[in-house]
Amino acid sequence: MTRSSNKTHIRVPQNGHPAKKRRAPVAAEIPSRFYGTPLPGVRPEELSGTLVVIEGTDGSGRSTQISLLTEWLESQGFAVQTMGLRRSYLVGEDIDALLAENAVTRMTLALMYSTDFFDQLERRILPALRSGLIVLADRYIFTLIARAAVRGIGRDYLHGIYETALRPDLTFWLNVRPEIAFDREFKKSQTISYWESGRDMSLSNDLFQSFIRYQSMIKREFEYLSKRHGFLELDGESSVSAVNRELRKRIASHLGIRSTQYRPSHALSHLWR
Amino acid sequence: MATITPDIALAADPATAKQPTTKRDYPGALVVVEGIDGSGKSTQLYLLKRWLEIGGYRIHFTEWNSSPLVKSATRRGKQRRLLTATTFSLLHAADFADRCERQIMPLLHGGYLVLADRYIYTAFARDGARGCSPHWLRNLYSFAPTPDITFYFRAPLDVAVNRIVAGRPKLKYYEAGMDLGISLDRSESFRIFQERILNNYDQMVETDHFVLMDGTVRVNKLQKLMRQIVSEKIALQQFAPKKK
Repeated sequence: MTRSSNKTHIRVPQNGHPAKKRRAPVAAEIPSRFYGTPLPGVRPEELSGTLVVIEGTDGSGRSTQISLLTEWLESQGFAVQTMGLRRSYLVGEDIDALLAENAVTRMTLALMYSTDFFDQLERRILPALRSGLIVLADRYIFTLIARAAVRGIGRDYLHGIYETALRPDLTFWLNVRPEIAFDREFKKSQTISYWESGRDMSLSNDLFQSFIRYQSMIKREFEYLSKRHGFLELDGESSVSAVNRELRKRIASHLGIRSTQYRPSHALSHLWR
Repeated sequence: MATITPDIALAADPATAKQPTTKRDYPGALVVVEGIDGSGKSTQLYLLKRWLEIGGYRIHFTEWNSSPLVKSATRRGKQRRLLTATTFSLLHAADFADRCERQIMPLLHGGYLVLADRYIYTAFARDGARGCSPHWLRNLYSFAPTPDITFYFRAPLDVAVNRIVAGRPKLKYYEAGMDLGISLDRSESFRIFQERILNNYDQMVETDHFVLMDGTVRVNKLQKLMRQIVSEKIALQQFAPKKK
């Protein structure tokens, strides 16, 4: 799989990079893999893999979709690597501990998350992309930007930190209404997490109200980010199989896979509805 | 290195981009010392601190990389040599943010004279020498309050390097800049790394209004000068003990 055979810029209109750009010489296209200056020591032309990001709030079905997509891609013969928040070796556990204490301030937390992100990006994701793998990201810089922005940290500041990050080939946003996300989360864990309901922001003493207000704020940030970065928005309230069909269609088209037929194996059949 | 025009999608919107604020909305004051290892800055700040402490002034002393917050991560990263220029820089920024939000800012608002052994310029000089872009670093630390005085202790490279090498049995991996792959010899690597940092500091003297201090001057003489500058630039009586 090589990048030149991709159809990246047809289906993903991105600010400043109109679709006709794909006809430009390869050299001119290289910078578009990063938002700004690439990370120190990274040669964009080495990255032959594909980065697919799935964004969406808790309860939007992200993790389910990533499990199913992994199986589908592997069945098609593609090697897959995943990433997500707080999964870095360097600080993943430290963030868990900070969150548990509720004592951390907003800027520190934002920077710990960015350390977590870049540790995964530099030591796991870039090597995977150099080897031509498909990386499925369970959330990306956009969740980190949205969370920090609703807490009053400047958007330009946040975009500045992440300008050395890799631009995804495809970014999907599984959009669900906060009320639906609440129902799904509550059903799953019989409670609502402190951070997912934005309780550090003193929005309401009522957990439900706090959750709805916080998730609505996040959603507004995502609407802004979606325009700015050309997200592919999907209706996260549709059935798992319908969302998955749409994801497969888009990814298949990007990778040049002909068949989008897929039935989950027995191990994953419980996710299918 | 080829410069790449930042993509508009992530570049700051000029209409909303904040200008760096030098306006102070707090009654406190901030004095920082900067300089490469072995330049004598810590000794001088210690003596300044003792002078103010003995006089009963409302002061607080803070130093770079001192919070328990990132200690385990830093240790983990250093032991297994996992840190890159970016994660090294971000980890220190997270640590600084914690100190800034929980100590420095509240103390400045509470009317303290805050003394800092190394400040954001350490990150600009050191992380810049590691390959982080200056523009990225400036943005990263743009939340930090601007110091009232920044003393830059400058000693010739040989003097500074010899002071460090003589006092230490073995230079540490990151301290010597071994991650940069400049040289396999630690002393040699340390020297080149410090030279790069020194050059980066020198470039900030004007842009960041450093007060240049000659690190080769005798300790007591230099301290006398430092105390004189502090007295001139800062209204010390506002930090004096309150009379009842």
